[in-house]
Amino acid sequence: MSLVEAKVGSVYRVTQMLVEQKILRRLEALGILEGTRIEILNRKRNGATIIKVRGARWALGSDIASGINLEDYTA
Amino acid sequence: MKNYISVAFVGNPNCGKTTLFNAFTGANLKVANWPGVTVERKEGETSYKGQKIKLIDLPGIYSLTSYSMEEKVSRKAILDEEIDVIVNIVDASAMERNLYLTLQLLEMGKPVILALNMMDIVEERGMEIDLHRLPEMLGHIPVVPVSARKRTGLDVLLHAVKHHYEEQNTDPVVSYTPDIEDKIEVLEHMLHEKWPEDTNLRWHALKILENDEEILKEHPLDTSEVVDKNYEKIIINQKYDYIEEIVEETLFYKNQKEEKTEKIDRILTHRIWGVPVFLGIMALVFFCTFTVGDAVKGIFEAGLDYAFAGMTHLLTSLHASDWMVSLIVDGIMAGVGGILTFLPNIFILFLALAVLEDSGYMARVAYVMDGIMGRVGLSGKAFLPMVLGFGCTVPAIMASRTLEKESDRKRTMLLTPFMSCSARLPIYVLFADMFFGKYAMIVAFSLYALGLVMAILLALILRKFSKSKGEANLLIELPEYKTPNARTIWIYVWEKVKDYLTKAGTTIFVASIVIWFILNYNTSGMVTDVTTSFGASMGKWLEPLLAPAGLGMWQIAVALISGLSAKEVVISSFSVLYGISNINSLEGMGQLSQILAGQNFGALNAYALMVFCLLYTPCVATLATIRKETHSSKWTMMTVFFQLAVAYLAAVLVFQIGSLF
Repeated sequence: MSLVEAKVGSVYRVTQMLVEQKILRRLEALGILEGTRIEILNRKRNGATIIKVRGARWALGSDIASGINLEDYTA
Repeated sequence: MKNYISVAFVGNPNCGKTTLFNAFTGANLKVANWPGVTVERKEGETSYKGQKIKLIDLPGIYSLTSYSMEEKVSRKAILDEEIDVIVNIVDASAMERNLYLTLQLLEMGKPVILALNMMDIVEERGMEIDLHRLPEMLGHIPVVPVSARKRTGLDVLLHAVKHHYEEQNTDPVVSYTPDIEDKIEVLEHMLHEKWPEDTNLRWHALKILENDEEILKEHPLDTSEVVDKNYEKIIINQKYDYIEEIVEETLFYKNQKEEKTEKIDRILTHRIWGVPVFLGIMALVFFCTFTVGDAVKGIFEAGLDYAFAGMTHLLTSLHASDWMVSLIVDGIMAGVGGILTFLPNIFILFLALAVLEDSGYMARVAYVMDGIMGRVGLSGKAFLPMVLGFGCTVPAIMASRTLEKESDRKRTMLLTPFMSCSARLPIYVLFADMFFGKYAMIVAFSLYALGLVMAILLALILRKFSKSKGEANLLIELPEYKTPNARTIWIYVWEKVKDYLTKAGTTIFVASIVIWFILNYNTSGMVTDVTTSFGASMGKWLEPLLAPAGLGMWQIAVALISGLSAKEVVISSFSVLYGISNINSLEGMGQLSQILAGQNFGALNAYALMVFCLLYTPCVATLATIRKETHSSKWTMMTVFFQLAVAYLAAVLVFQIGSLF
């Protein structure tokens, strides 16, 4: 499922990132990679989502969020 | 041989780097740009036990790749010989993210000292950090707990700088998997053969594996046999794996509490309440600007009256000639002094903006406004320069640098001047007070709202005409909320107050003299009747053009033209034009409104005037900034005419529709 469909308050794992090359490299440097654990904190009606990754909070616009695919997190 | 140690401050955005830097240097800093790029460079000085230490504040960055200007600048500066030692500021409450930069810094080979900031938040959250194990896992670099806000640990940090600035890091901190380590070794050999002088071979080898553009350009090597693909992702992953190890071994949770930030965010970033809360906060800011500012204003006015009396007395006792008295009292003092009485309003406005910024709320505004901005084809991030525009358009235009796409940046620059800056504030304070009495504040609010609505409306129209599709690629960190730091706020506000005073002493000073001159002279010398002056003839020529907007008075034409130097000058011009000594006082306002009423200038005209002042061509300083940031005179000229047209149309509409009732 894509990050815009993920449930607020739940924890997921990144499986795939289909975003622009430039943004992909930025996300990777921030520690958002395939396999990373992501917590969904909040979402706006337009799809912009607040996530928590490695102890930091990020707001992602809907274009970026819809390009990130997730699966349920199992420890 | 230089006699000082130069220290670079490096850290993530929001790690408290600037607060720490300010704690050492105070407001005494040199601010410039890095050569060739529009990235700010701050420099200060301190000393420790007789040792002079030069501090250089590098831009806040998350990593040391070469994707952004900030990262490139930082990387170059660190590799540069000028810098002896790096102080890496790490937000202890967000170690996992902050340590990534640390690991990259360590690989570069320069001595690194870790300043562990925000330990108080760590404690507050019931966490503990093992300060013995942490340095062990980071190649035994000095780790110094500091609090930038409480100003503790500062001496210990300087002590570490003085004693460790010559220690190079030699042992690798992160060991990668054997296949990568093998490749690093091969590359190190190849690099050493071709560039025997290079010292940080490991770093260069890693960068070649990561396919780093800049390093590949500087070190052209045929590495096709070693580097079969881009290893960047693998290297990043392994660094984060190591960070996870560090966190596991050094960070302990005793009794983790729910984070304050999350609680606050539930309200401030609420999917429905987020926008109303933001608008409410802004309304509160303007309310304070008007009421508190007005309360203090009295003192300033009394002071100004006193100064007027004193100066007139002094000049007459010196038997100064009439024109001299007129120039100083009616020209300079009326023009400059009138502007100074608005200082309390300006002060409160910037204080409020500083608090919003330092508390961590601003980043939330980008998220909250992402929906609305998305509709006009911009990301929520583009709204941040616009909010700053309520303070001053010049830094706001510069803040649009944070937007990546050139077209987004240009559009934001076109819209930002519609945000009502603090220079326009005196115009509203004065005219709203004079003509709208107890409704003054509502009238002033309506102008702020109008600016915002106009900006969004125009963005919508512009979007229809532009080919590029808007992207919703917001990516911004939402930092921990914190109590604003008094020192940081003070430095910020003081800078703005200083700017305002400087402007009063320079631009407004000169403009006042020029206005006085054109109003008191014509080709045959000094005039006794102002209507025969240069200014009057120039203004009269524009009268018919301004008449449909209810502004068909030559005095207003003169005031508006002089307002191009700085918008406050509109007020200065009125003071000089009508010879009112203390325009912002009750007495001064009474005088002015009486004169204006005599010229058939009523509330509707006043509102049209305020609308025009809100929207028309920004001041020269803003135009110069737009020119500098866009590198395009054409674009700048377009801004000039575009805004002039918008202002004219809006003022005409207001006046014509208003006249129907």
